Amino acid sequence: MSEPDRTKLPIRRPPFHGVASRTLHGSVPDWGLTGHAEAPAGAPNVLLVLIDDAGFGNPATFGGPIATPNYTRIAEAGLKYNRFHVTALCSPTRAALLTGRNSHTVGVGSVGEFAGGFPGYSATLPRDCAALPRILRDNGYSTAAFGKWHLTPDGQQGPAGPFDRWPTGWGFDYFYGFLGGGASQWDPCLAENQKVIGTEPEYYDKDNPYYLPDAMADKTIKWLHAIRAQDARKPFFVYFSTGCSHAPHHVTRAWADKYQGQFDQGWDRLRAETFARQKALGVIPADAELTARDPAFPAWDDVPDKLKAYYSRQMEVYAGYSENADYNVGRVIDAIEDLGELDNTLIIWIWGDNGASMEGTITGSFNELTMQNGIPLTDEMQLQLSERYGGTGAWGGQLMDPHYSAAWAWAGNTPFQWGKQVGSHLGGTRNPMVIHWPARVAGGSGDGGGLRSQFTHVTDVAPTILDVAGIPVPSSVDGIDQEPMHGVPFTATFRDPAAPERHTQQYFETIGNRAMYKDGWWLAMRTPRIPWVITPEALRPYAPGVWDPDADPVELYYLPDDFSQAHDLAADHPEKVQELKDLFWREAERYKVLPLLATLSTFFGMLPPLPAEARFEFRGDVENVLSGMIPRIYNHSYAISADLVVPDGTAEGVIVAEADHLGGFSLFVEDGKLTHTYSMMGVFVYRQQATEPLPAGEVNVRMEFAADAPKPATGGEVTLFINDRPVGKGRMDHTVPVRFSGYAGMDIGRDNGGVVDRSYEDRQPFPFSGTVKKVVFDVKPHLTDDNEKELHAAARHGEAAHALSA
Amino acid sequence: MKLDDETTDVLIGGYISKEAAKEDYEAALGCGGYLHGAVVVSKDLDGSLSVEQTDHMVREGAAGLGALGFAVGLFAPPLLAATAVGAALGAAGGKLLHRRTASKLEAQAAETIPLGGAGLILAYPHSAAGKVEPAVTRAIKKAVGEAEGHHVQALRAAISDAQHKMAADST
Repeated sequence: MSEPDRTKLPIRRPPFHGVASRTLHGSVPDWGLTGHAEAPAGAPNVLLVLIDDAGFGNPATFGGPIATPNYTRIAEAGLKYNRFHVTALCSPTRAALLTGRNSHTVGVGSVGEFAGGFPGYSATLPRDCAALPRILRDNGYSTAAFGKWHLTPDGQQGPAGPFDRWPTGWGFDYFYGFLGGGASQWDPCLAENQKVIGTEPEYYDKDNPYYLPDAMADKTIKWLHAIRAQDARKPFFVYFSTGCSHAPHHVTRAWADKYQGQFDQGWDRLRAETFARQKALGVIPADAELTARDPAFPAWDDVPDKLKAYYSRQMEVYAGYSENADYNVGRVIDAIEDLGELDNTLIIWIWGDNGASMEGTITGSFNELTMQNGIPLTDEMQLQLSERYGGTGAWGGQLMDPHYSAAWAWAGNTPFQWGKQVGSHLGGTRNPMVIHWPARVAGGSGDGGGLRSQFTHVTDVAPTILDVAGIPVPSSVDGIDQEPMHGVPFTATFRDPAAPERHTQQYFETIGNRAMYKDGWWLAMRTPRIPWVITPEALRPYAPGVWDPDADPVELYYLPDDFSQAHDLAADHPEKVQELKDLFWREAERYKVLPLLATLSTFFGMLPPLPAEARFEFRGDVENVLSGMIPRIYNHSYAISADLVVPDGTAEGVIVAEADHLGGFSLFVEDGKLTHTYSMMGVFVYRQQATEPLPAGEVNVRMEFAADAPKPATGGEVTLFINDRPVGKGRMDHTVPVRFSGYAGMDIGRDNGGVVDRSYEDRQPFPFSGTVKKVVFDVKPHLTDDNEKELHAAARHGEAAHALSA
Repeated sequence: MKLDDETTDVLIGGYISKEAAKEDYEAALGCGGYLHGAVVVSKDLDGSLSVEQTDHMVREGAAGLGALGFAVGLFAPPLLAATAVGAALGAAGGKLLHRRTASKLEAQAAETIPLGGAGLILAYPHSAAGKVEPAVTRAIKKAVGEAEGHHVQALRAAISDAQHKMAADST
């Protein structure tokens, strides 16, 4: 059979080569018609692994303090790449990885949750940029994605879709994971294919609780077994995208305790130790230098002694969490080996989609969402709040959503400066990559464990996979002419350590931090803003008409001689500075990077249209409404009303609940009495209860929040009603200004996953014992038009703040 | 030492974990400085209260103090200023000090201590301040008031002084 034309997808069905007469007499079948597109002969399986929010200096394979035996075994039989680059932010790296194109070009200049009004920030994959899984699927691969997605806008993460922005819409046959930027590893609100399935039932098994990293590996292995049970030859493409090491840092105590005491020396010494190991391993050049500490990070010696144990535990948990990710990737690799297919499986394992995350601010947090909600908490407060939920020994357990200090992240990015979000420097953009493919890499050349130092970029991964599979980048998909891929294959480096560098020029841009790389030179243009500070004062210098990006300070590095960016040469080479500045602007225009700081546009008055809906109805069987899709009840008065059928006797159970005890609300019935609990991010918790029980039969209950003023985090008075009669009240001094949760969902008639009020934890999900017929949210009973506009702006600011931390 | 021998100091501290408050309470008891008395009050997230106090406080410090008014305005902390938790708790603790019995302490605390919060009150002669105050290391907010005079009046005045300082620090 002739090789089909793979440049136009879907592949055209083959012509009929048989004979169809009027009857079977004389007819000749062509059995080729019943087949399907097949991959080119010799096309390998592909396992693409992406670890989240991790740095160059994290895994032991690259000199870090975190044991990564599976990463090391794969590297020792394969290749280590020490000049591989990403985009400094989650979604953009994923978009570039899965499309082979620069992230802004495919509309993902910022995180996937928030679709903006500029082409580079629309969070909408253009149809002229078909993604890698779609190309592989149409070329005869089975495709599946497990774990973190982060490429679907917030408002589209429900059963109404549209699903072209879900993993299946990008070309994956199967998806099991979460759609947002981060998730609890204990009770994630999950999606499978095109359905939000919520928290798995195993979460409620206290003896053997659900844990997402384990489940991801289990699901992957099961999927591999299933496809092999059907088809022994069809190649697979597995995208294994861990939630680890993104916050919340969740892992069992046993994993964290493996690191007990190993970080008591603090982040400054940890950097020095990591740097020494990197030199000894040879993963950095012998003449590389350890960059200096920026004053934004405190010296470990300046941390009060009473808080050092608190900070050390943060890193112990992060390390255990990360090692567990290595363990579970190892299980998947073992399963492939058990199938006898490891030799013909190309493994590309990238340790970090950006540098380690500094979004925990200096203090770290018992609840990562406290940062996004702008709650100012000192490290002593954070410590006390962690004590409230079990103490530092429980850091990483089910009752906290922790994030570590930015200083630990900086240490995780050794030997570089800065980290996630800082696209101008290597701390945010250079991550480890390992390639393993015995059939074509290393084994044949005797170069197992070899190091590759060609400049490579995340956009190169898709072209490389297609190159080794013998599949062309399609020129047309669904009749639409395709944008060429921007990356280039690095296949030549598999066998040749001295293969010429093919990726010679690359722009970087993340939230205004930008860089231009060309032929070894790197111009760094960092906005002089501390990445984790998003106060009005910090943002004011970047207002339209105020900010002149060309006036930002610049640093110039020559990377072939300066691996870590330790020597700024800008003063000595003004002509090179100007050349790269000019080149950046040209590249920015070409790849839709402009306008710079589009991510922050809402802070400067560029708002989407006002939402029209003020009333939201949910029937009684609705559950797992993802956190970005709940009614906008923040910062103003609102009412929640429910029509119930109350059984005879003592009713109990949840009427409606959003998220959990670390941020959320629950309207429920306890001991027959209507009760409302509101958790202001676990910092303040308010509870109001009716003074009398619910009557039996058809009943309307209502909770009204009368805000002091329509403003962020407003306090106000709560009143509870039964059949329009007030039966209870209370005050809430502070409310949540931005978002209750990054991942937990809202449920009618139950409280899935972690509960809001732990008094009913032993009965979770605490379903309502009667019937919830309908729940109605009225989100603006008292607002003027001006109020509405102001709150709309505040909500969008909150989204942008979330985007800066997702 | 009798309460009216010299200037009386009262330290009030606010916490957002009962463990932290208890830690400071124990540290104060073990600091080697003389205490007229100490009280630590906490409220769990489920609303249950716990009160711990030295006998000495009940015997000498709490008598006859129930009539004093306090700055309830401290319970309206500024927007998102979590540090004001300490002020609120300090004020709550101040109220508690005026109650004669543990049951009354609990009743007052039920109204004033936020869920998950805790408060600490220490009364001591000024000469012991050098040992007592450094023992209190974990309060989110704390203030020290002082007053001279007869023991009951001095204690009342010192509490009032501490609360005013706490309030001033919360604005």
